[in-house]
Amino acid sequence: MQTLTYFLPQVWFGILALFLFLYVMLDGFDLGVGILSLTSSTEERRSILMTSLSNIWDANETWLILMGGGLFGAFPLAYGTILNALYIPIFLMIFGFIFRGVAFEFREQAKRKLFWNLAFGGGSFLAALGQGFALGGVLAGIKVDDAGHFIGTTWDWLNFPSIVVALTLIQGYVLIGSTYLIWKTSGELQATHYKTAKLAAVTTLIGAILITISTPVFYQYARNRLFHQPQVYIFALIPLLGILLIWLLLRSLDRKQERAPFVWTILIFLLTFIGLALVVFPFIIPTQITIYEAAADPSALVFMLIFIGGLIPVMLFYNIYQYAVFRGKVTGGKYGE
Amino acid sequence: MMEFLSDTVVLSRIQFAVTAIFHMLWPVLTTGMAIYLVIVEGLWLKTRNPDYYYHARFWSKLYILNFGIGVSTGIPMGFQFGTNWAPFSEAVGNFFGSIIGFEASWAFMLEAAFLGIMVFGWERVNPAIHYMSTILVAFGANLSTFWILTANSWMQTPAGGEMIDGKFVVYDYFKAILNPFMAVSISHMFLATLETSLFVIGGITAWYILNKRHEAFFSIAFRIVLIAAIAIAPLQIYVGHLSAEQVYHRQPAKLAAMEAQWNTIPAGQSANWSIVALPNEKAQKNDLEIVIPNGLGYILELKKNLSAPVLGLKEWKYEDRPHLVGLIYYSFRVMVAIGFFLAGLMLITTLQWIRGKLSAENITQQRWLMRAWIFAAPLGYIAVESGWIVRCVGRQPWTVYGLVRTADSASHLPASNVLTSLTGFVVVYSLLFFTTLYFGSRIIRRGPRFDLPIPGSVQTEPVLDTTPGKFIPDERPAEAQQ
Repeated sequence: MQTLTYFLPQVWFGILALFLFLYVMLDGFDLGVGILSLTSSTEERRSILMTSLSNIWDANETWLILMGGGLFGAFPLAYGTILNALYIPIFLMIFGFIFRGVAFEFREQAKRKLFWNLAFGGGSFLAALGQGFALGGVLAGIKVDDAGHFIGTTWDWLNFPSIVVALTLIQGYVLIGSTYLIWKTSGELQATHYKTAKLAAVTTLIGAILITISTPVFYQYARNRLFHQPQVYIFALIPLLGILLIWLLLRSLDRKQERAPFVWTILIFLLTFIGLALVVFPFIIPTQITIYEAAADPSALVFMLIFIGGLIPVMLFYNIYQYAVFRGKVTGGKYGE
Repeated sequence: MMEFLSDTVVLSRIQFAVTAIFHMLWPVLTTGMAIYLVIVEGLWLKTRNPDYYYHARFWSKLYILNFGIGVSTGIPMGFQFGTNWAPFSEAVGNFFGSIIGFEASWAFMLEAAFLGIMVFGWERVNPAIHYMSTILVAFGANLSTFWILTANSWMQTPAGGEMIDGKFVVYDYFKAILNPFMAVSISHMFLATLETSLFVIGGITAWYILNKRHEAFFSIAFRIVLIAAIAIAPLQIYVGHLSAEQVYHRQPAKLAAMEAQWNTIPAGQSANWSIVALPNEKAQKNDLEIVIPNGLGYILELKKNLSAPVLGLKEWKYEDRPHLVGLIYYSFRVMVAIGFFLAGLMLITTLQWIRGKLSAENITQQRWLMRAWIFAAPLGYIAVESGWIVRCVGRQPWTVYGLVRTADSASHLPASNVLTSLTGFVVVYSLLFFTTLYFGSRIIRRGPRFDLPIPGSVQTEPVLDTTPGKFIPDERPAEAQQ
């Protein structure tokens, strides 16, 4: 029983990390493409951008819903406390999602598209901003009482490091959105996004460096975690690998490769993700609540493991199948019908 | 008067109610319509009659519009459990959270992934795979209903565990899922989505017929709708009755509010059923009442005298019983009245059908009948919303009946935060409501497209067919054939 109460929360931490990573990767390029659409020079280009997402944004966004549902079931205390503390960033994200989602349906129908163009691009930006602040807010730590309930104030999540995190996440989404478009488009549009990818790679790198420096400077817990033997070697490896990957990415962009930039970007995301998870683990709210304290009953975790965990391969299968059906370059700009 | 503006609990409740009432409008249609799409696409594959294919394409346009808005408006629902109802989430996360996770993983992901193929895949996959995608979308949508209704039923009749130190500990998950309300509630909602969709499709169809646009084409849809309604409308009344009976046995305070019954009626007596009443919560009585003598006895037990008492609201302390009695009382009556109206409309239409008045030639002459169907189109929505008001306002003051109070469920937030997000929801959701009506009506006014390529037609039929084919008369009006 003792081992079970250690083992199960770890398994669920892993599952939720997987859901969150899939979300950040998949809806990340959706949001990036959305933000990039704000710079589209013509309606036709914007249509192609939206067509490249029309059949997948829904399923991509579902990974977040799944992560939310899993967090609710597996770590109810964390679900309540984190969302309660991040009231404003969460609602920024939600309203961003609403605007982006409905823009797909309404822009296609509308004769005057300006409002729905802004809803699509602005909604994507707002959602990314909310997520960035939420991530920054969690990394900054959340004020809780002994029982783990939120006791901070409305604007706790807003501070210098969280602004850096939010801006960097937006850059990261623009980067993965650009590399996705390089993969899915051709001609002039592709040429544009080689440029935006390069620019975003540089700004993301700057943001990543800032975060890597500022996290241990601002947060005691990160210092304790990082500057210890032997972890320090592992943690030193992550930025080095990151620089290598950025170099590989930039090289592939220079060589005008089509798929490699997207793959390198995904690996950069994965590396960042692992780095963050290692800093945080085993806390689910840094230095306040561990995954063991926030976990639901072992019976609930087992029950969910069977009925949600068992479904993961199936979900992955039909998501991949969906991508296979719509493989190839985006042609034309008709995403409604 | 405006003191609720500084009450976080009240504001969070209003916010949840507003988002739920708006959100429901979209999935209620799509879950039912998904089954309709399965039927017409199946008919197309079976008969290869292109009309069924054009039906599938036409109605799926409305489907997609509603689906997209339904997803976007539904996301805030789940997040609100954390943002506004954190203590509730913590108390019941063991069970309730798992079920929300199931909805996402079992149902929503399935629907979202195959929707892409259903909408954009006509040219990319073969008809069998496409049909499978349509079926999976419909299955996923209805599985969502299943899980959401399971979670809500459990909040009405919690089972399978007990509260220990303020947390619900589950002993038996299957008992919790199969809670007393579960089966009937799911059936009632399943039928409600079907019935609402049928009468929306029927109403739009009637509009085309009334305006003599593609009347032969749309009379096909009209007959499909009617055949389904013959089965569903009476069944819904029966299941609704079962549901009310369960409330009578398991949530007597809610039943008392539904009937605006202040005093207990003891066993052995006869009970009246009121049609109109003015409930007065201060005086704990009805200021006015018009009743059907002995009606309640017949409704509950099919006999004049009750064998068990019907408890009145006064049995509970003021803080332990539902308020807004008038709202609950009238919402219930509106729902029941609509249920009977729709069944009546179905009955009259069936009679006309038997009399041969619905054939392609003379259906356009049924002007009053077509008008009645157009009038019926929005009624399903109103019935569904009313039913949910009865269900959830009637459950007060509890979020989980008898276990967790609403007052203890809300997050401690500054009221101004909730007021801001609530205002945002009211503005944005109203905008979405009207834009959906606007763009939906535009899709309808444009009508179906008969120039879409029929998938598989090139591969299955050789260019030069030497065998004599079966003659398929083109029933469409002249303008459609051009």
